[in-house]
Amino acid sequence: MRKLFIVLAIVFAILGIVFAVLPLGTLALLPVGLALIFAFIAFIQSDINQKSLPKWILIIMGITLIVVVGKVTLIKDEVAKDEQFEQKKIESKQEDLKDLEDLE
Amino acid sequence: MRKILLILTVILTINSLFGQVNKTVKSGEKFIYAASYNMSGLMTQLAQVTMETETVKTSKKTLLHLSCQATTFSKWDTFFKIRDLYESYVDPITLKPSLYKRDIFEGKYTKREKYIFKNDGKTIESTVNKKNTPETKKTFQIGGATQDVVSLLYKVRTIDFSTFKPGQIKSFIVVFDQKEMAVSVKFMGKESVSAGNLGTKTCYKISIGAKTQALRGTDKNIIWLTADSAKIPALIKFSIPVGTGQLTLTNASGL
Repeated sequence: MRKLFIVLAIVFAILGIVFAVLPLGTLALLPVGLALIFAFIAFIQSDINQKSLPKWILIIMGITLIVVVGKVTLIKDEVAKDEQFEQKKIESKQEDLKDLEDLE
Repeated sequence: MRKILLILTVILTINSLFGQVNKTVKSGEKFIYAASYNMSGLMTQLAQVTMETETVKTSKKTLLHLSCQATTFSKWDTFFKIRDLYESYVDPITLKPSLYKRDIFEGKYTKREKYIFKNDGKTIESTVNKKNTPETKKTFQIGGATQDVVSLLYKVRTIDFSTFKPGQIKSFIVVFDQKEMAVSVKFMGKESVSAGNLGTKTCYKISIGAKTQALRGTDKNIIWLTADSAKIPALIKFSIPVGTGQLTLTNASGL
């Protein structure tokens, strides 16, 4: 049973790290939370000399949790100024005006 | 007396044919939305959608330029960049389109479409450019009252929903992907919705239905329009083949 919880904790920990790297916002809390729960259960069920792996999963997930919460609270949803796109819009509008003139 | 009746009949017929006279959509409007996509039950903000109107003058005509632009938030640009632009040039009174353009840039997928409405809006000259595909041109006939998708979105705002009863439907014909299709606009009642900088507003709840692969479900594509003279889309919920999402109004200006 301990092994199962460790495997689940590792799987969700990997997912949690991937989700934390991607801009998925609070969605990353789901695998991180599950990894923490499974790692904690595995930690409790482990003998004193077997606690190392679940302990490290707990530490890494704790750090990932801080990263996710930090990203959600500190990084704002902003749109980058896209010069190329703006230029494209200007050129497109000039072309549109020509089409509209031809239409009349 | 007969002449007056005849004139009245003609006016009413024209009005019913060409729909409402626009007193709602004004030049200089700018609505900004946060677009969210449903990922495993959690709404994740992906992009900003901007709807703008401006007056455009040619040598003979004054037109209203309607544009809808979707841009992914910078944090998403590295993973999946979206720069979509939908535009329509319409008559400012009837909102009848003269030119419609769709410029899609989604990740590695690109598509450009241009429809020129000719012969008093009864003929469309279309040009389509897709990535790795040769440009295609096609001329096809449409009904005189056919709208494009952008102008329809604005046309819906000109409807007087205060006279509608819940369940009442108004139909439109829209041209999309070089095909005409019927679109139904169903009034579902009134609800209070958060409308960004405008605060909480009482809104008309409108369901948009169409027999197309682009929209899914019955009453799953809903627009909440503020129940005032501006009829601003405060919230838009959509259900498309790849999932569900919503556009939440964050800022409205130029009213």
